[in-house]
Amino acid sequence: MTSVPSKRYSDDVSLVVVLLDTNPFFWTASSSLSFSQFLSHVLAFVNSILLLNQLNQVVVIATGYNTCDYIYDSSMDASQSSEKGRMPSVYSNLLQKLEEFMIKDEKLGKEQSQRAIASSLLSGSLSMALCYIQRVFRSGPLHPQPRILCLQGSSDGPEQYVAVMNAIFSAQRSMVPIDSCYVGANNSAFLQQASYITGGVYVKPQHLDGLFQYLTTVFATDLHSRSFIRLPRPAGVDFRASCFCHKTTIDMGYICSVCLSIFCKHHKKCSTCGSVFGQAQSDTSSASDHKRKAPET
Amino acid sequence: MPQVRIIAKNFMDMVASLPAMKLDRLYQNAFICEAILRSLPPLAKKYVVQMLFFDGPISGKLLEEWVLADGVTKHKVAIDRLIQLRIFTEAVDKKRESSYKLNQTFQVNLQKHLTNGGVLPREPMASTVRLPSLEELDTYAHEQWEVGSSSLCFHYPSHLHCSGQAEKPTNLSSSMMRIFQRGLLTQRDKDAPRLTEGGFQFLLMDTNAQLWYIIRDYISNSEERGTDPADLISFLLELSFHVTGEAYNMNTLTEIQRNAIKELADLGLVKLQQGRKESWFIPTKLATNLSVSLTDSSSRKQFASSLMILVGMFFMVIVIMHATGHVVVETNFRIYAYSSSKLHCEILRLFSKIEYQLPNLIVGAITKESLYTAFDNGITADQIISFLQQNAHPRVAERLPSVPENVTDQIRLWEADLNRVEMTSSHLYDEFPSRDTFEAACDFAREWNSLLWEDSKKMRLVVKAEIHMNMREFLRGQK
Repeated sequence: MTSVPSKRYSDDVSLVVVLLDTNPFFWTASSSLSFSQFLSHVLAFVNSILLLNQLNQVVVIATGYNTCDYIYDSSMDASQSSEKGRMPSVYSNLLQKLEEFMIKDEKLGKEQSQRAIASSLLSGSLSMALCYIQRVFRSGPLHPQPRILCLQGSSDGPEQYVAVMNAIFSAQRSMVPIDSCYVGANNSAFLQQASYITGGVYVKPQHLDGLFQYLTTVFATDLHSRSFIRLPRPAGVDFRASCFCHKTTIDMGYICSVCLSIFCKHHKKCSTCGSVFGQAQSDTSSASDHKRKAPET
Repeated sequence: MPQVRIIAKNFMDMVASLPAMKLDRLYQNAFICEAILRSLPPLAKKYVVQMLFFDGPISGKLLEEWVLADGVTKHKVAIDRLIQLRIFTEAVDKKRESSYKLNQTFQVNLQKHLTNGGVLPREPMASTVRLPSLEELDTYAHEQWEVGSSSLCFHYPSHLHCSGQAEKPTNLSSSMMRIFQRGLLTQRDKDAPRLTEGGFQFLLMDTNAQLWYIIRDYISNSEERGTDPADLISFLLELSFHVTGEAYNMNTLTEIQRNAIKELADLGLVKLQQGRKESWFIPTKLATNLSVSLTDSSSRKQFASSLMILVGMFFMVIVIMHATGHVVVETNFRIYAYSSSKLHCEILRLFSKIEYQLPNLIVGAITKESLYTAFDNGITADQIISFLQQNAHPRVAERLPSVPENVTDQIRLWEADLNRVEMTSSHLYDEFPSRDTFEAACDFAREWNSLLWEDSKKMRLVVKAEIHMNMREFLRGQK
């Protein structure tokens, strides 16, 4: 409210929710950067955020391949470290929780071993981050400016397409930018779209051993400073969608004109909203007619 | 009229004005590096963090490339600040291009911080005794602070006000008392000491600004008492990194720090407790928020600074009092303050007529007479209005404006009434030899925009004093 402007935090106080990709499939395959190296870069980055302003807050969420969980919250940390006295505050807590998480993740993985998934549960951790941020929003008029930082290595899971897109749109609605730093081999279409839509920054570092420098120069920038600082711009965004029926990434497909669901093949009925489609003409007509709209009520 | 104003000046300006040697010594303490980094403008912080792991110098051009065109002034401010604080050293090469290098000790300290994470300056004692709860501590800090501030109020030459207060035990140490009184009180011969103009303004500042005013004075006077200001600054900054409500052993302090801490206890920054064998100190919210309010940068307007201060006060009870506020102003110029604090009553008395006082309510009225006394004491209308706005009761704070417009307008009008006559020093010219010379002189004065009055019949004119010399030259040339 405008009547009490003095009750807001200053512009550069930020809440950073870091989504940490812990997918073992990716990290064992990755040759350029080991997980422990990656972690040391990230921890130094977390420290530097906390250093910049005493009101800054960092939350770390681990993104596994079966589950996600909060592994660090700087606002909780303050009270804990005072109990145990002197200790390298951030690390011990975080590493301990991370280990517990990895074990849990692996256990869950064994239970459902029939599915071979190589991608991390980005949609889950994004939703958790957004929930946390919503809670902060509702905590009162005095809250830091939130943003999400995805540190992702594993490739996109097309089966999560709908959930990820929903998370992205809700982030856009609540004006939370999603920054993404992709350390994997190819570009991630999900993260490119997420950053593009929410006004965040997408970076794919060229030299992974200098990851910390990328993190501090680009992602440590608070939202207030972004208005006058030149940040990397997206070179090109992969806007391809996944179809709802087989969860594969497609260039062209069919869209339900009622609910905008995407399908790779022609169906008689929309699986999402139940609208009945007419006869497909794609078999006979040209490729330009491929993207067919078929309402039939 | 000369405007004497107390501005709660930025603490960092004070740090920046320290000689280079001392500043370098300060940076050997990691906590100071941290506190100082946090006090920097956002862009400067970013530069420092970005360069933290660079060994060589970085050219200014490279830094500037990061900034968009409309942020160039911010870039300059950031660089100036960094150089002023000796965090950056500037080197200019042959091509006149400047490059910057981080201060070595500063850099190493922060690097350590990033890789090892933050630690506490000293270990809290194992709690063998019951420590005061956070609420108790806040009340304590609040009370201590009020005792200090009200020591000023009691010198207010008011006939009305209660004689009972003189009996109130003020347990302030004499040295703190002196700081409170220095500059804020004057004593004429045998009269009771009186508040100065600055003193009145001090009372209307908010607590953090007041705190900084006192701390600043305390530090700048430290040399007289034989203490190095740099030691004090470093101790104060270190203090702000302690955990509120934890006990710390006094034995871990140096001699200087032990002396200082006793005086800080008078201000309510720490609470001292004595055990059977050893004594310890417990920092209050006031102390741990010291470095928060450092961020209060003088470049922003008063509005912004009160915003920053409110941030600092997020945790502070005193301040919560300020933030929640207690004053309601009605359109009929009546003031209701929901408070039982003597200090609040005295502050309101500075500019309004207190009519009666109930156990938790003070009722008064803003009158022309009461405002004139305030203006006489050097309080400005804007200060009064901003005080009323900042302390508005939450119910009225929601409304906009929180203080009725007719009241604020009238306060300003009454102040303007006092300044109806404006004095300008000037010179009168007459006995011009000819009408032409007179006209030329008039034109000349008009050109300089300093013709105040002219009488063409009697050929006389009055011009501002600044251009007297130019005018004389001009008239000589005319002859």
